[in-house]
Amino acid sequence: MWIKYNRILLSKVLLLLVILLVGGAAALGCARTGAVPRGWSGGAIADGTLFLGSMDGKLVAVDISDGSQRWDPVTLETSASAGGFGCAPTSTAVAIYGNLAVGEGLFYVGGYDGKIYAFNSSSGALRWIYPRQDALQPIVGGPLVALGKVYVGCSDGKLYALDAATGDYQWKFQTGDNIWSTPAIDGDTLFIGSFDKKLYALNAADGSKRWEFETEGAIVSTPLIYNNTVYIGSFDRYFYAIDTADGSLNWKFMAENWFWAKPVIYDDTVYAACLDGKVYALDAESGDKLAEIDLESPISSSPVAVDDLIIVASEEGEVYSIYTGDNHKRELMNLEVRVNAPLSASQGVVYIHTQEYEALYALNVQTGVVLWTLPLTSK
Amino acid sequence: MDIGTIWDLIILEPVINSLIWLCSTLFDSFGLTVIVFTIFIMICMYPLTAKQLRATKGMQELQPKLAELQKKYGKDRQAMAREQMKLYKESGLSPAGCMLPMLVQMPVWIALYQSIIRVLAVTPEGFLSLSQYLYSWPIVYSTLPLANNFLWLDLATPDMFIALLVGGSMWLQQKMTMPRTADPKQRAQSQMMLWMMPMLFAFFCLSFPSGLALFWLTSTVIRIVMQYYMTGWGALAPAGAKGPGGRDERLKQRIAMEGGHKKEAPLDADIVEPVSTPEEELGYEESGDKRQDRGEGYPASFRPVSRQPRRSKGHRPKRR
Repeated sequence: MWIKYNRILLSKVLLLLVILLVGGAAALGCARTGAVPRGWSGGAIADGTLFLGSMDGKLVAVDISDGSQRWDPVTLETSASAGGFGCAPTSTAVAIYGNLAVGEGLFYVGGYDGKIYAFNSSSGALRWIYPRQDALQPIVGGPLVALGKVYVGCSDGKLYALDAATGDYQWKFQTGDNIWSTPAIDGDTLFIGSFDKKLYALNAADGSKRWEFETEGAIVSTPLIYNNTVYIGSFDRYFYAIDTADGSLNWKFMAENWFWAKPVIYDDTVYAACLDGKVYALDAESGDKLAEIDLESPISSSPVAVDDLIIVASEEGEVYSIYTGDNHKRELMNLEVRVNAPLSASQGVVYIHTQEYEALYALNVQTGVVLWTLPLTSK
Repeated sequence: MDIGTIWDLIILEPVINSLIWLCSTLFDSFGLTVIVFTIFIMICMYPLTAKQLRATKGMQELQPKLAELQKKYGKDRQAMAREQMKLYKESGLSPAGCMLPMLVQMPVWIALYQSIIRVLAVTPEGFLSLSQYLYSWPIVYSTLPLANNFLWLDLATPDMFIALLVGGSMWLQQKMTMPRTADPKQRAQSQMMLWMMPMLFAFFCLSFPSGLALFWLTSTVIRIVMQYYMTGWGALAPAGAKGPGGRDERLKQRIAMEGGHKKEAPLDADIVEPVSTPEEELGYEESGDKRQDRGEGYPASFRPVSRQPRRSKGHRPKRR
């Protein structure tokens, strides 16, 4: 009651309340919005080594037999820092999305700082950076190494082709909007999806366009090529099968949310993971739905095929194996931490990069036993 | 079902999907969407806002009386409290009257704010988060991602100019609501609010996407307009001059004139009566603000002005 009659104190309380409300709203508003890029790099495996980028911008080379590190982590940092409060990024660590790529003694990284890096695989020494000065727009999709070139899509809507050994610019192809998709190659044809809702088929040698296919939504997922067909999901909730020769539609299948993850194929069955929490098993030829495996949590992490199993992780951190014989799921493990990064696999072991408690898990897909764990961020 | 899920289900999801739908109908311009949606929300919440503005205005108008009470019962707190309560009761106001509508509006603003932040997804994390709020309307899926360009702004990144505009408009609004008082303590409080809030929001704007700043700017400008029509320029009007009294006040005055009411000291005067200094009294007297029509013809201070012939070039008598 006494507050009611004390105007000065009431004013102070009001001021404090407003500041608290605004500050609280700011904090709550940022929570769960994902306004700050943190990254979820997938691993690239070559010669018994897994290359991975952590959420604090560190590049690690892990011996997949025991989880030890081949060389001291290399940290990618950007000089540009924005904001300092609210939803603006405060960290100078470079966020890394998508898979890293490996080739000819080098491994390649596309950074959210708008730079493409090449490092020596055996020592971690920097070989080249593109561009050498300034930076492009953020790079979200992973690089692709093929035909002596590195292909990488950028948020400026361009697909860049660089010399894999030197990083010299070769050509670029302009799309109508951001590119977050990782390119895929079949022979000398390169496939890339864009936010402009189109899938492009390009000549990998010079970047000239062969055809384009328009969907109703943005394309973020990485195309899968199998038997002269390119399979890709879109933000319009459709999963498409397109003829690689002329870009004509073979079939399409509708889900309940966006397709983000790269599909995987096993024995003429395409497994398409969707943000509606389901993995759709579709006949590669006809598009008929063979099974629908519900994981009850969105799936953004690309699954992998290991022997006759499809390994898939939900955002909630539940790891399942789907037996391709009957398309039944079996829970391998519940990591209870967020998983967005694409999975990697080698010799019956799947490697899972978790986000909240950031670590790399090596999981035996037959037994579900964790072989080793490598914590990546101390935070 | 936890409170966060309920909030998302009944508040955030409808607002987010409405924003996306509206954007698809407004030429895919998210800037225009933010402005139109903010205006729509302001219209929906007009009764509450009007109540709040009137209550604030009423509280300001009570200040001279409260100051008098403080002067009279300064040391006797019990008596002062009793008299204050009596005054509030007589005037039909309470300090909570200003706060309650504001608190009711707060969840709406927080929802709108959260929705804008989510819809303006820039990072992959932002997109993944947004995907879980979407209805199964085809238009929603084909409209995303939204174009972030509006005028000179990239709505997804902070902008210095719009931060200054937000700070400036908030200062204007604060100034309009600031009570004119002779109480130095209260004046200091008002001054602190006058500068603190605009600076706080300008600082926020430098750290948040400018789409959010556009929302703050739009809502503040609408509030300024509403405030002007309800309570006039307030403290923004020059101290000596009586500014436009606002629609409500003008209406009251007209009714009073037509009905023949002649109050000795109108309670809803814009300017609070100073408590002490004779200099200030002199100032008011000179400005004419405190003149009252006592129903006896012209006030004593009124002096007839004899017209002097104007001597300017345009009216120079012709030479013969």
